[in-house]
Amino acid sequence: MLEAFAQNLVYGVLIGALYGLAAVGLSLVFGVTKFLNVAHGEFLMVGGYASFWLFTLWQVDPFVSLPAAIVSLLVLGAVFYQALFSRMVKLTEGVKIQNTLLIGFGVSLILQNLALKLWTADTRSITTAYSGQVFNFLGIRFPLVRVASLLIALVLVIALQLFLRRTYTGKALRATVENWEAATLMGIDIHRVYLLSFVMGAALAGVAGALVGVGYSIEPGMGMSWTLKSLVVMVLGGLGSITGTFVGGIILGLTESATGFIALMAGGGLTYKEVVGLVLFLLVLVFRPEGLFGSKEG
Amino acid sequence: MNKRNLNWIVRIGLLVALVAVVAACASPTPEPTKVPPTAAPAPTKAPEPTKAPVATTAPTKAAEPTKAPAATSAPAPTTAAAKPAPAYIEVGASIPLTGKFGSLGQQVKPGYQYAVNDINAAGGIYVKEFDKKIPLRLTVYDDASDPTQAVSKMETLFADQKVVAYLGGASSDMHVATIPIAEKNKVPYLGVSFALNAIHQKGYKYLFSPFPKSPQQTVDTFAALNQLIPDASQRPLKVAIFAEKSDWGAEEEALWKENATKAGYTVVVDEQYAVGNLDFTAMILKAKAAGAETLLALPNQPSGEALIKGMVENGWTPKFSLIIRAPENVTWSTNLKKNGDYVTIFPGWNSAMKFPGVDQLNKAYQAEFKRDADLLTGPSYACVQILAKAIETAGTLDRDKIRDAIAASNTSTVVGNVTFNADGTGKVLDPLIQWQNGKLEVIWPLDHATAKIMYPAPAFDKR
Amino acid sequence: MNKIQITIIVILLAALLAFPQFITSESVLNLAVYVLLYVSIASSWNVLGGFAGQTNLGHAAFFGVGALVTRMLWFAGWNIFASMVIGALVAVVLALIIGVPAFRLRGVYFAIGTLALSQILLITVGNTFSTISSIPTEDLKVYSLVPRYYMFLGVALLTIVTAYVLLNSRFGLGITAVREEEDAAESLGVSALKYKMLAFGISAFFGGLTGGAFAFYHVGYYPQLTFGPEWTFDSMMMAYIGGVGTIVGPVIGAVFFVVLREFLALRFAEFHLIIFGVLFILVVLFLPDGFMGIWEKIRKRLLRRSK
Repeated sequence: MLEAFAQNLVYGVLIGALYGLAAVGLSLVFGVTKFLNVAHGEFLMVGGYASFWLFTLWQVDPFVSLPAAIVSLLVLGAVFYQALFSRMVKLTEGVKIQNTLLIGFGVSLILQNLALKLWTADTRSITTAYSGQVFNFLGIRFPLVRVASLLIALVLVIALQLFLRRTYTGKALRATVENWEAATLMGIDIHRVYLLSFVMGAALAGVAGALVGVGYSIEPGMGMSWTLKSLVVMVLGGLGSITGTFVGGIILGLTESATGFIALMAGGGLTYKEVVGLVLFLLVLVFRPEGLFGSKEG
Repeated sequence: MNKRNLNWIVRIGLLVALVAVVAACASPTPEPTKVPPTAAPAPTKAPEPTKAPVATTAPTKAAEPTKAPAATSAPAPTTAAAKPAPAYIEVGASIPLTGKFGSLGQQVKPGYQYAVNDINAAGGIYVKEFDKKIPLRLTVYDDASDPTQAVSKMETLFADQKVVAYLGGASSDMHVATIPIAEKNKVPYLGVSFALNAIHQKGYKYLFSPFPKSPQQTVDTFAALNQLIPDASQRPLKVAIFAEKSDWGAEEEALWKENATKAGYTVVVDEQYAVGNLDFTAMILKAKAAGAETLLALPNQPSGEALIKGMVENGWTPKFSLIIRAPENVTWSTNLKKNGDYVTIFPGWNSAMKFPGVDQLNKAYQAEFKRDADLLTGPSYACVQILAKAIETAGTLDRDKIRDAIAASNTSTVVGNVTFNADGTGKVLDPLIQWQNGKLEVIWPLDHATAKIMYPAPAFDKR
Repeated sequence: MNKIQITIIVILLAALLAFPQFITSESVLNLAVYVLLYVSIASSWNVLGGFAGQTNLGHAAFFGVGALVTRMLWFAGWNIFASMVIGALVAVVLALIIGVPAFRLRGVYFAIGTLALSQILLITVGNTFSTISSIPTEDLKVYSLVPRYYMFLGVALLTIVTAYVLLNSRFGLGITAVREEEDAAESLGVSALKYKMLAFGISAFFGGLTGGAFAFYHVGYYPQLTFGPEWTFDSMMMAYIGGVGTIVGPVIGAVFFVVLREFLALRFAEFHLIIFGVLFILVVLFLPDGFMGIWEKIRKRLLRRSK
């Protein structure tokens, strides 16, 4: 019983890491640019397909091909940024959110339906030779590919955090979050900063998509649910905190798995675990309107 | 903008709103004004069987006899001037080709298309009323998996294409919206890709579905098991049911429980999960702890693959698993590799079944998709076959007569011989199919089997 | 507003009223119903999202509650109007309950908070009302689109007229002040919360009423359909593309959105959403302030010339 509970919590952390990783990308873009890119889930989907096709056509291991997924999303992100989102840079914040949301909606329709035409509506996933392998620790099973996914997510989040804190460009990015006008006065090229954060957000989505393809499955219509999840996690963690967002994802995953287990033991099945996660989210907002780790200004 | 004008606008607006509301209120029954009793015959589908020479006043839209490509087999005597035959027999479908049911819709559409092509290649359907063969014309709209858009497509098919029959979309979410429109418009409706029996219990008169439904599937589950595993001591008697929290899930769950007991099986775990669930760990561990030997589940994607992956990782392999829906996806086995094997499904059909017409269908499918016909394609193809036969039997394009002909039909199709029960469910074969080494094999009923059941399933890590 | 404008409005209204007497095609009538449905829901979203500037991403919750309650009462034998009003009132109650905590949140926090709320309802309704809700077969025999058309026309006009009256009243001034500069408005003695709650309540009422009309209209669906996030996002997008915070904007947006999507769907089958997405983006790029923004520009230019 206790073992089963612990096992569930492990899965909660593992799926929560994916929520977190997906949300970190969205949060980075929104924090720096105030672009609400609702095509984020579709970027995730494209990353998943990049990894899937590399594996299917050339047997490239999905963890080895992650750089390729990153590069393809960097390119895709740059194309969409230059063609569409760059036109929104100078708008006031409200109009910016509004118009990027509209454009994001258009982009998500296009990507989703292009994927459907190119790769059919069928579900895809990646099963490697070592998929399904587990290692035991204290009687708990740790599935190899999921733990690897967790580690990759961790490395990326830490790397991002270091980049933002230690490098000049990273500091410029953070300065833009706080006050883009002042940042411009200090000689920061706002277009470059925006482009950089947009493509980095897309790349993070791409990695998350590839990991979803390994751990679960992908299909052209998957974007919407990941976008919604990412939005919730972004706000749960609190805007402006990369680590906070990632931890928020893990907390959401843990809540879902724990309530799932408890409800199942109580005879209620797994029907309400997502609801409990969302209720927890709303409670957090009631007591901490700026999210778990957000700053007061939002 | 001054106050006086403002008041004017408000008054006018409210007045009109009031009138509108009263109009809505006053007409729970169709408004008498709705269909103006114009003298000119409305351009409707069903030409009246009277011999009166209405040909001159007939709507021009339908009167294109010269364009009809059919080679008239028995030239009508010119003296008996019947009404001019329509150039086409219009049929139409609103199918979810995009959106969340896209993978189902994409299997259904080619079924309709190939059947229409094959019938038209033979000149069309002979309609006695016009004493000639008339080709079918199929109009397909994409409803983007949205039940509201589907309704609008159904009305367009009725009003603009004036279809004599509807063909259905895919998944019960969509059928539940489109079937009542067929009923309202009094147009026969043939649809597959939903096993929900509850739709058939609403008294719909125009609904026909040559597709196995939950009552049949749940009885056949244990009938097949008992027949395939004759040695009672070898049977997987302890059953775990993982039910999706939907009406179809609940229906199947209740019937499985009922029939399991009757057949001597014990349900040791019976749990529900919300649609779209990705983490089944808690349920899997419970089933494993209870020593369940049979898994009965009906997940859609992406839950289906998540379930299998969770079972692999948590080290639970039921001896027998019947998973309806997700494993019907053509990519099931390429995605999951060996872990996808041993799973059985009740898809309603398989391209390896030996019925007349299947080879031709597979050939057409091979040419376009490089594989044999998909699971839903056969039943979709059969819908058109049944319709064609019924039109020929009715000898007219009158929708009610076609409806009656379908109800009384007994048609040899690519899914076998099909007749209908009073509730519109088809008396159809319900083959149990198993993924074996990445291929779909029919394992039951035995006279259609292409392979023997692979049982019991070895543990995932021993494959 | 001058006599010409009033004349135009009167003619337009007369045409809308007479519409079903001349159009008997179910296809066209259904499209009209569909347009009016979105005119109503987009206009109701606009009261909070546009006038008050509070981006509500949970509007589907109110639409859904209105539809659910109406459908239940109506099927239980209640009069449809009573059912709809009660449905709308339940939506208002829901708005009032969540309003106070929700308005402690600002900007994107408010938006995502309301989104979470509607997702909670979506899943809960999916779990608790999982059976199909379809109009009984005997009622289908007398089902006609004409009363549905008038119902939606009535709801749409009520929504628009109410929005119009609101915007041109003291409420309009207050809410605009709150939207533009909440803190400044507060310091002048304007209770931001009061105005926001009022806007929220009205928005929820008409969202719920539209849901009620949907319950009256739709022949068969799963109850959770009306709680789907698409309803919120579609309404919001229509308001944005038409001109958010204006009366006519959501109307134009809804007409554009629905008619264009339907037009493309009938011609391009499975390609229609790609084409729609491209056209949609083009409109946003070329009309960054929505259709009303372009109209304002034209009007200003004309005014300048006439001076």
